[in-house]
Amino acid sequence: MIIEVADLTKDFSRPDVRPGRFAGTRSLFTRARKVTRAVDGISFQIDDGELIGFLGPNGAGKSTTIKMLTGILVPTSGTVTVAGQVPWRDRRRNARTIGAVFGQRTQLWYDLPLRNSFEIIRDLYSMDPATYRTRLGEFTELLDLDEFIDTPVRSLSLGQRMRGDLVAAMLYAPRILYLDEPTVGLDVVAKGKIREFVAEINAGRGTTVILTTHDMDDVERLCRRVVIIDHGKILYEGDVGMLKAQYVTSRDVVVHCTDFDATTISSPFAQVVSADTFKATLRFDPEVTAAPKVVHDLTSRYPITDLSLLEPDLEDVIRQLYTERTPVPARGTGA
Amino acid sequence: MPVDTLSTRLTGLRGFYRAGYQSVLAYRADLLFGIVGLVIQATLTVVVWRVLFTGHDQVAGIGSATAVAYAVLAACLQAVVMPWQFSSLPLRVMRGQIGVDMIRPRSLISQNLAQAGGTMVGRLPLGAAGLVTGLALGAVKAPHSVLDLLVSVVSMALGVANILTINLLVSMTAFWTLEIGGIMILYRFGSAFLSGALIPLWFMPEWLQPIISWLPFQAQIYAPLSIWFGTRHGADLVGTLALQLAWVMVLFLLLQLVWRRAVHRVVVLGG
Ligand SMILES: Nc1ncnc2c1ncn2[C@@H]1O[C@H](COP(=O)(O)OP(=O)(O)O)[C@@H](O)[C@H]1O
Ligand SMILES: [Mg+2]
Repeated sequence: MIIEVADLTKDFSRPDVRPGRFAGTRSLFTRARKVTRAVDGISFQIDDGELIGFLGPNGAGKSTTIKMLTGILVPTSGTVTVAGQVPWRDRRRNARTIGAVFGQRTQLWYDLPLRNSFEIIRDLYSMDPATYRTRLGEFTELLDLDEFIDTPVRSLSLGQRMRGDLVAAMLYAPRILYLDEPTVGLDVVAKGKIREFVAEINAGRGTTVILTTHDMDDVERLCRRVVIIDHGKILYEGDVGMLKAQYVTSRDVVVHCTDFDATTISSPFAQVVSADTFKATLRFDPEVTAAPKVVHDLTSRYPITDLSLLEPDLEDVIRQLYTERTPVPARGTGA
Repeated sequence: MPVDTLSTRLTGLRGFYRAGYQSVLAYRADLLFGIVGLVIQATLTVVVWRVLFTGHDQVAGIGSATAVAYAVLAACLQAVVMPWQFSSLPLRVMRGQIGVDMIRPRSLISQNLAQAGGTMVGRLPLGAAGLVTGLALGAVKAPHSVLDLLVSVVSMALGVANILTINLLVSMTAFWTLEIGGIMILYRFGSAFLSGALIPLWFMPEWLQPIISWLPFQAQIYAPLSIWFGTRHGADLVGTLALQLAWVMVLFLLLQLVWRRAVHRVVVLGG
């Protein structure tokens, strides 16, 4: 167990400013404070070498949690242990254990070429020159840094900057990498590169990765286990596949045909949701009828040329989870 | 995993020190204009102060040559140490980078001081340009003795420590308000005047001198230069250095105090 979180809670308290004349000035004197509970008693554990997805809608408390895990924020109550240490108690010691990328922020030096930022980090973490050269070489290749490594950070595109930030966080080979929305606002190619890199440092180098994202493609491609939070509380914690199985109340099967009119198709196990001459989509409840049975029924009764079973969409599952907003008891693997 | 030794500490800070001067060098045109600017400033300073002194041998016991040399050296020194040059701290606070800076293996204070030290080194060419101009115009005076030279170098070092600390202190206002522009301007003009960079304390009104001579700012430029020109002797000289040292220590303590409040703001209130 490399990360243990128990009953973690964070309240933010701000001066309560009532709108009106001199609101700004009054805020300097007012004693009334408004408390927001950003994280509300969450507990979970992460194994060494895991790649875990940390999901939730905007304002759910993901970043606040990550900041407490990295030691940037001190919790209001509850405990966090990261690699045997309390992260905020000794930030400087904790520093070598963790790497962090906050999507909308950069840790790089704006005015300097990307390469200089890496050199500052090399010095900061007292890396020996040979290790530095080897690792930078590998990362350069993995992320195609060559074309922009000598460009000042301020002139980089978002995707390039993000790749630079990833390298900066991984150069000194921390055991744990925190990624807070690393793919937000990136194009497909840049996202792909970043996913490849994250997969490699996790599978190839055994780095534990905690990934916050809105992008379900990220999750489907990278994570086996997820923690989903909303309003500071855990909604689900466990296997991605189990989550789907539990939440998918309907699945779609699409059939194509050339020899007869697809609008005539019907099935005792499924409902037609759309049909035209060559193609029909049918929906069934997997809890009631197993997919093979539906497929068998259709293929045995109609001369179908092609049939595809649509994968349950994680996006839909998550959306449903957010709307219902009731915690799901984790089934299957979990921690 | 490297343990924290003096050597890893220094290596860690070397990166920031380099970032400091590299950031200056990254803006070549700025540096070039700065150099040209200092040549012009040094020339005008010499011309104007010489005109001011025509018809006077001495003002307030200070000879024309000393006054002119002071003005040139002060301009050079100020260009290098830039008492109003701030660290990148406010920018990093505003951009929200400060959180990551805090989970580095070196403290934020040493990160910033190292980087500011590097920035000063990067600005040395400006001072050199002003100095060469002053020399060419025959306006720079060497200290009376090697001892005066050595002591004034020590005093300059204390002055630099003073400037670095005050700059960082002022920069830390960024933790409390995003509108630091006004504070910066106030500090910039205040320190230019109170440090003796514009006018040496010699020429200030009698009632103002004792006040300014106890403030931390005079330790930045006036103290080292007044030693350079051999106007401090005996107890006065020792007292000047002692006051400089005392201010550096007080300011550093204050820095730790303010820093602790700032950390509290970030880690508890969330910045
Ligand atoms: N520094 C802060 N001060 C006050 N409220 C904050 C602060 N940071 C975050 N919050 C609030 O805490 C909640 C969780 O925020 P956050 O952790 O950033 O969510 P997420 O990253 O999941 O979008 C939000 O309601 C947000 O407005
Ligand atoms: Mg966030």
